[in-house]
Amino acid sequence: MANTLRSYLTCIRNTLEAAMCLQNFPCQEVERHNKPEVELQTSAELLLNPVLICRNEAEKCLIETSVNSLRISIKVKQADELENILTKKFLRFLSMRAEAFQVLRRKPVQGYDISFLITNYHCEEMHKHKLIDFIVQFMEDIDKEISELKLSVNTRGRLVATEFLKQFV
Amino acid sequence: MLKFAFENVTRLVILIDDSIDKAQAIDHHISEFGDVRYHIQDSAQDQNSIYLSISAPSLSPNHFLRNGLPRGTAQTIERIYGGVAEIFEPPKEGFQLTIRIDFSKLPLAEEDRIKVGTEICSLRAVLLGSQLKEMLWTLCSQDDVHGGYKPIKLMYHPGEPFFVIRLPDKITSVFPMRFKDDSDVVLATAFFQELMDLRCSSSWDKAPTCTWSPIPPIELRGEPLHELSTNGGFVSFDILSRHIEGPKLEKTVWSLLNFSAYVKYHIKCSRGFMQRSMRKRLESLAEVMQKAKITRDDKKQVQGCGCMRRLLNASKTKVNRTNCGQFLQKIKRVRLRIRIRGFSRFQRRWLKIPKFHSSIKYSKLD
Repeated sequence: MANTLRSYLTCIRNTLEAAMCLQNFPCQEVERHNKPEVELQTSAELLLNPVLICRNEAEKCLIETSVNSLRISIKVKQADELENILTKKFLRFLSMRAEAFQVLRRKPVQGYDISFLITNYHCEEMHKHKLIDFIVQFMEDIDKEISELKLSVNTRGRLVATEFLKQFV
Repeated sequence: MLKFAFENVTRLVILIDDSIDKAQAIDHHISEFGDVRYHIQDSAQDQNSIYLSISAPSLSPNHFLRNGLPRGTAQTIERIYGGVAEIFEPPKEGFQLTIRIDFSKLPLAEEDRIKVGTEICSLRAVLLGSQLKEMLWTLCSQDDVHGGYKPIKLMYHPGEPFFVIRLPDKITSVFPMRFKDDSDVVLATAFFQELMDLRCSSSWDKAPTCTWSPIPPIELRGEPLHELSTNGGFVSFDILSRHIEGPKLEKTVWSLLNFSAYVKYHIKCSRGFMQRSMRKRLESLAEVMQKAKITRDDKKQVQGCGCMRRLLNASKTKVNRTNCGQFLQKIKRVRLRIRIRGFSRFQRRWLKIPKFHSSIKYSKLD
């Protein structure tokens, strides 16, 4: 499982490295405006083919690229109801605090759990390789956090149940 | 002499403070959970005593409707309050139970006083717990069951009823679990699963059998539909005679009465824990993001020759002024017909117009 995760993340990293060649490009529709083309999608010539990287049916990553912006959407695995709730809670928690990350979208793309929007301005302000590192670490941390939370919820439940049953014995 | 303090309205804590004089008469009415009423009144005859009266709805209004207190209530109060409080007969009008608290018998240590005060606050639990105790005794002592195994509906917390059912060899208590939030349901379900798994292990053989099911158990067949509509399923405990023997009865009654509150408190704590954990993770991720930003030091590393840096640093007005000055110099040079070597130096030295400065100093007006 660890190997599949590594190859999945390596694939995403390589794709991001290739896709993150963004440049300033004014909007073709509105004068003196500069908008992320991947969000508007008004001019087909400014968009590249989206890349979908799937680890399995429940876990995938969509990378959409345009001339001046890049959108990364991630779907996190949710094996059972507890994981589903934990994922929702955690990603909602992060989305509510999107200003801490700058590149995080407040609302994910439909069909995905969380989305990032990287523009050419972000690439000018930040190191590209570190930005890619952040995306990859973010994906790793989400998995890690949800696994830890699940484990701790079950452990706490077991301890609380033990304390409850102790009263009868 | 007395100081009354309320903790979250739901819990009354009586703290005794000798430093405050009893200057005025005490006569307070307090409500808890909407339907539990307290009345605190001082004694006209004895300045060292106050009366605390309680009125609480019965655990089960359809059963055990008899006058007076449940069996064992007086003994329980005597045992818990240890001489500090005693039952006052008859109770005040409109209340089920009145106790007289004697402050002259209070322990001297502050901590012990607070402990006694907290115990006095659990009067409702004592009163309703006595009812459940009597019910369990009665059910256990019944040899023949009249009218089949009909569930008895009990209500300890408003809106959270539970059922006690007498079966041939055991008493089953069934808790319909209701939660406001979907995430609470999932956390509670995980807890119930753990409870069931733990009970199945060999080390917990003596504990009551615990089962959880999303559908109502067969014993509750025939109950009104609104009583059986839950989102958290049904938790059942099989209470055997060994669980209500001697001192175990007290703990069993307390556990059964407070099971819903116990689960809800666990969920609340779990949510708090999750929030803390998520906040920590957010901080660590935000740190990674901060590291990705290009700082001034990074910029210095990529800068090349100094002239470019000068150009970059110069403001537009400064550049314009410099360019303009150079241009004017050029024009002057072109328009000067006769060029005399060293004339400019001579001009600066001898043909300079002196500057006059005013000796009057002006002070700035505010």
